Amino acid sequence: MQWIMDTKKTLQPSLREFRLSFYLLTRNKLQLASLIIIILLVLVAIFAPLIAPYPGHAISETNPDDKLQAPSAKYWFGTDELGRDMLSRVIYGTRISMQTALIAVGLALLIGVPLGAIAGGMGGVVDEIIMRITDVFLSFPPLLLAIAIAAFLGPNLRNAMLAIAISWWPWYTRIIRGQAVSIRERQFVRAARAIGTPKSQIIFKHILPNTFAPVIVQASMDIGGVILTIASLSFLGLGAQPPIPEWGLLISTSRTYFLNAWWYSTFPGIAILITVLVFNLIGDGFREVLDPKTRKF
Amino acid sequence: MRKFILRRLLLGVIVMLGVAFITFFLTRVIPSDPAAKWVGPRATPEQIAQATIELGLDQPLYVQFVKYMGDLLQGNLGVSLRTRRPIMLELQENLPATIELVFISTIAAVFLGIPLGVISARRKDQWVDHLSRLFSVGVVSLPTFWVGLILQLLFFRTLHLFPMGGQLSTEIKLTMEIPQITGFLMFDSLITGNFRIFQDALWHIVLPGITIGLYPVGLVARMTRSALLEILNEDYITAARSYGLSERVVLWSYALKNSIGSTSTVVALSIGYTLVNTFLTESIFSWPGIGSYIATAVIGLDYPAIMGVTIFSAFSYVILNLVADIIIALDPRVRA
Amino acid sequence: MTEYFEIKNLSVGFRTFEGVRDVLRIESLRIKRGETYGLVGESGAGKTVLALTILGLLPKPAGIIHSGEIWLDGQDLLKKSDHEMYTQYRGKRITMIFQDPMSTLNPVFTVGQQLARVIEKQQRLKGEANMKKALEMLDVVKLPDAARMLEKYPHELSGGQRQRIIIAIALTCGAEFLIADEPTRNLDVTIQAGILKLMDELQQEFKMSMLFIANNAGLVNVVCKNAGILYRGKLVEDGPSEKVIRSARHPYTQTLLSAIPRDKSEALKFASIVIKPEAERGCPYYARCILAEDACAASEPMLEMVGEAHKVACFVAARRQA
Repeated sequence: MQWIMDTKKTLQPSLREFRLSFYLLTRNKLQLASLIIIILLVLVAIFAPLIAPYPGHAISETNPDDKLQAPSAKYWFGTDELGRDMLSRVIYGTRISMQTALIAVGLALLIGVPLGAIAGGMGGVVDEIIMRITDVFLSFPPLLLAIAIAAFLGPNLRNAMLAIAISWWPWYTRIIRGQAVSIRERQFVRAARAIGTPKSQIIFKHILPNTFAPVIVQASMDIGGVILTIASLSFLGLGAQPPIPEWGLLISTSRTYFLNAWWYSTFPGIAILITVLVFNLIGDGFREVLDPKTRKF
Repeated sequence: MRKFILRRLLLGVIVMLGVAFITFFLTRVIPSDPAAKWVGPRATPEQIAQATIELGLDQPLYVQFVKYMGDLLQGNLGVSLRTRRPIMLELQENLPATIELVFISTIAAVFLGIPLGVISARRKDQWVDHLSRLFSVGVVSLPTFWVGLILQLLFFRTLHLFPMGGQLSTEIKLTMEIPQITGFLMFDSLITGNFRIFQDALWHIVLPGITIGLYPVGLVARMTRSALLEILNEDYITAARSYGLSERVVLWSYALKNSIGSTSTVVALSIGYTLVNTFLTESIFSWPGIGSYIATAVIGLDYPAIMGVTIFSAFSYVILNLVADIIIALDPRVRA
Repeated sequence: MTEYFEIKNLSVGFRTFEGVRDVLRIESLRIKRGETYGLVGESGAGKTVLALTILGLLPKPAGIIHSGEIWLDGQDLLKKSDHEMYTQYRGKRITMIFQDPMSTLNPVFTVGQQLARVIEKQQRLKGEANMKKALEMLDVVKLPDAARMLEKYPHELSGGQRQRIIIAIALTCGAEFLIADEPTRNLDVTIQAGILKLMDELQQEFKMSMLFIANNAGLVNVVCKNAGILYRGKLVEDGPSEKVIRSARHPYTQTLLSAIPRDKSEALKFASIVIKPEAERGCPYYARCILAEDACAASEPMLEMVGEAHKVACFVAARRQA
C-alpha cells in the first residue's frame, strides 16, 4: 500500500518548478508590486482599528458638525453627509471586502470542490447529472444569479455572501472535475481500483489532494472579481446596508452628494480599483506561469 | 452542420428548462413566504391569503411548476408591484434603450478590442503590449458604476461637455415630436432625417456608452491576445511567413481566423456582462432601459419585476451563447 | 568569392531561464548551385534552427545569432533586415518544406485557398489564371482529381497528400533555394519513397539548390551530393555523401551509421555504450565517444580536411589518415 499512498509526492510540483514559478513571478516588476500591495491590503484589513484615524466613524459614530468637508489635514479623504471621516470608512471597507470575499469564495469552494471530485471520480450517471446542473448554473450571465438570489433572500451582507457562493461554485466544480477525470485515468488510480479500493476512498484520498493546487490558485485569482461583485450588489442595495462602510455602498450613498462632494465617490472607487487590479495582475502572473505556451521560451 | 445545430438547439432548450426551474425555485421555494413577496410589503393578511390561492402556492410544487412554465411560455411574467402593469409589457418598452447601449459596447468590443488584442500579441513585451495589457487589466478591474459617476463628474460637472443623463434633453423632449418606428431612438431619428434629435441623442449616449463599453473592450482584448499568442506559435504561421506572405495577411487572415472560436465565446460573454452592467449603470444616467427598471425594482422590493428581468436576461444569454456556439461551428475542424 | 550558398562560422543560441544555450555551431558549409546537400542529425540537434535562421524566422527574443555569415548568391542574409528578407528572399528566392504537414497547413482554410494565396503573392496571378496555376501545381506533384482536392481541408487529407500539397505550395514560390526539413518524417515508409522520387525529379526540373535535412542517413545518400553530420548543434563531419556515409571518419557518424569498423577490436568498442562526464570546453561528443582522449576534453576540435573535400571535426580521426 505504501507506494500508492506516496503518490501525493510524485504529483506535487517539484522544487525546480516552484523556483521557476517564483522566478517568473517576481521578474515582472508589476507583479512583484502587486504582491506587495496585496500584503499591505491584508495588513490594513487586519489592523484597521489601529490605522484608521477615527475608527468610531466607521462603525456607528456620527459627527454632523463636520459634514461634507473637502479633504483636509484633519480628514484626509474628506467627510460624508454625517460628518464621518472617509479615510477611516474606506480603511474599514478594506476589512469588510476582504472578509466577505474570503467567506464567499470559501463557501463556493466548500460546495464546488466536493461536487467536482465526486463527479470526476465517480463518472457515469452521477457525473452527467452534476455536470448538467453545473451547466445550467453557468448559463446565467455573471452577476445575474447573485442579484436574484440576494434579492430573494433579503438584502444584507450575509445573504450577499451566500448569493455569491451559490453563483460561483459551478466554476470550481468544473475545474475540479476536469482534474479528477484526468487523474482517474492515471496508473495509480487504476491500480487502486484494481485491488478493490472503494470509490469514496479513491476520491478523498487520491483525487482530492492532487486537484487542490489549481483550484486554490484559481480561487485566489477570483478574490478580485468577488470583491467587485460584492461592491456591485451593495451598490444596488442588495448587500451591505448602512451604516456598514462597504465600498460599493459608499459609492451608492455618494450619488446624492457627489456632484458637490467629489471626494465621496472618488476614494472608495479608487480603493476598489486598486484592490481588484492587484488581484487580477497576480492572477495574470499565475496564469502565465501555469501555461507554458505563452512563455518566451 | 445541420445535425450539429439541431443538437445544440436541443441542448439550449434543456438548459432553458433548467434556468426556468432555478428561477422557479428562487421565487417559490427560497423565500420564507413567497406570497408576501409577491404582493408587497404593505399587504394585509387577507391579500396575502388571496395571493396564495391565486398563485397556486397551496398546490403541490410540481403543479406550481407546470403553471409557472405555462405562464412563461405565454409570455406572462406577472404584474409589477409598483406600476401594476404587466411586466412583459414594461420590459418591451424599456428594452430598446438598453439594446442601444449593448449594441454600442459590442461594436466597441469587436472593432477596438480585437485589433488591440492582435497588435498586443504580435508585439509581445514591447511597449505597445505593456500599455494595452495595463489598459485591459485596468479596465476589467474598474467598478462600472463608479466609472459612470467619475465621467459625470469630469465631463458634466467640471468640463460641461456632455449631459448628465437621459436619452434626450428635456428641451427636445418637450418641443419636438420623437419618431417612434422601431423604438431605437438613434435609428429612428436617422431614417426620418431628424438630425437635431439624432445629434442630441448621440450627445447623450456618449458618457453611458463609454462607461458600458470599457469592460468589454478590455475583456475581448485580453482574450484575443492570449488566443493569438498560442496561434502565432503554430507551425503554419511560420510556414506562411516562409512562403513570403505579408505580415498583414499572416496576422489578420491566417492567425485571426483560427481564433473565431474563442473570440465568439468571449464576445458572447462580454455581452452577458454588459447586460448585467446596465443594471448598475443605467440608473446613474437616468437611462430608460431595463437596467434602470430593475434597479428601481430592487430598491422597491418589486419581486415580480426582479424575477421578470432575471428570467428575460437569463434566456437572452442562453440564446446568445447558442448563436456563439453555432458561429464556432463554422470552424471546419469542429464539425468533423 | 563565396560559393553559391555558404555558411561561415555561424553560432546561434537560445535564451532559457537558465541562461543562454548554444544550439548551433557551424564553421563552414557549402552548397553549389543546383546541388543538394544533406544534413543529418538526431532530433534536437539543431537542424530546424538552421532552417529558421537562414530564413530569418528565428523566434524572437529567444533566439540569438552570436556570429556568422550566411551567403546566398553573393549576399550575406544575416545582414539583411527583416523587411529585406520579406521582400526579396522569403518565398521568392528561398522557400521551405516543413516536416509535419498537418501542423504546417492552416486548419481553417482549404488547401486550395492556401495555395491560391501563395500563388497570388509570388506569381501575381488572380482569378482564373490563379486557378489554372493551382491545378498545374497539383499536377506537378502528381495529385489526382485536382479540382476536388482544392476544396478540401487539411484534416480531410491523408499524410502523403498533405505533404504533396506542401511541396506544391513551396514550389509555387518559384524559389531557387529549397530547404526541406525532414519532409518524409511523418509519412509511412512506403509513401516516403514516392515523395523522395518526386522531390528529386522536381529539383532536376526546376534546377533548385536544396538543403535536405534528415535524421535518416540512408535517405541522404540517395538524394544528396554532399552531406554533413550535425551533433548537438555542431557540424562534425562534412563532405561528399559517399565518403561521409560509407566511409565516415567521425566516431559519432560511425556510431550513427553503424559503419563497418576497421577491425575486430574497434567492433567491440563500438558495441559498448560509453558515458563519461561532459567536457565543458571540449568536444561535445566527448561524453559518449569511445575514441576520446584527454585532449578531446580540453578544447573543441574544428573541421579539418581528411580526404578529398572530406572534413571532420575530431582530433583522433584527423590524426589517422585514410
